[in-house]
Amino acid sequence: MRLSGENTKKLAGARSLSLNALLKRAGVSKTAYYHLIDKESVLPRSIDALAAALGVRPSALLEEADRKSRRALRLLEAADRIAGSDPSMDRDNIRHTLLLLEEKPIDRLRRSLLRARKLDLYK
Amino acid sequence: MPENLIFTNKEIGFLRELKRQKVEFMLVGAAAAALQGAPVVTQDIDLWFEDMKDPGILTALRKSGGIMVPSFGQNPPTFAGDAVKLFDIVLTMHGLKSYEEEKKNSFEVALGTLRVSVLDLDRIIKSKETVGRPKDLLVLPVLRDTLKTLRQNDTKNGVPRTSRRRKD
Repeated sequence: MRLSGENTKKLAGARSLSLNALLKRAGVSKTAYYHLIDKESVLPRSIDALAAALGVRPSALLEEADRKSRRALRLLEAADRIAGSDPSMDRDNIRHTLLLLEEKPIDRLRRSLLRARKLDLYK
Repeated sequence: MPENLIFTNKEIGFLRELKRQKVEFMLVGAAAAALQGAPVVTQDIDLWFEDMKDPGILTALRKSGGIMVPSFGQNPPTFAGDAVKLFDIVLTMHGLKSYEEEKKNSFEVALGTLRVSVLDLDRIIKSKETVGRPKDLLVLPVLRDTLKTLRQNDTKNGVPRTSRRRKD
């Protein structure tokens, strides 16, 4: 996970907090903060402290790619949990259903109609 | 986006017109299952009408530039015309009760700004189990897994399944 300096500043600004004030409130030193920004990976505890000081979810402070990967992980965890409760279920069916539930119903229907049309092309 | 080229305002306009004419109908079959999150494919959208003799159907068709082709031989009545060709008419839902009874097992789903009635997935499964055509048997495991996933997902969220999905 990589901390997004841009998101952190934006969220602090929205709460009328300067970066310095945020760091003070979160108990994170300036040196530690810039060290975090430079690092490819940061400890969730550091992110949690900053998020708590801003009153936001830790994911709000992450780079976009991290948010996507966290979302995908959450979905896989949910699929695992459901599959674990009933071994007769197909894991792919569960995963695809959970993915579709994140879309609007009209988009689910369009996807279904479009896939049928694509299958028709190969007949 | 290519997804936007299918089931566009034309089709939604027809459904809107049916509602404007106060025609009683609900979406059933694979399209209704897809709306509820089932990862299935479908070539058409099945519409179950309470009364096929409702004059509002013909009015809605006319206003949408479509026509009704009467049944002949083994073929049920069908719709023809650009805005309505995706829709299939369902006269009977095998294995289920009357339209009026099954209406209790439907809920509303938003298609853009339009809200339409959709038959609950467990009733779609029940009907497909009764009909038992090869294509139904093929899709049933997917539908059953979808239903279990919806139930598990809602149990986790602590929300009854139907009321959560009513928000759709």
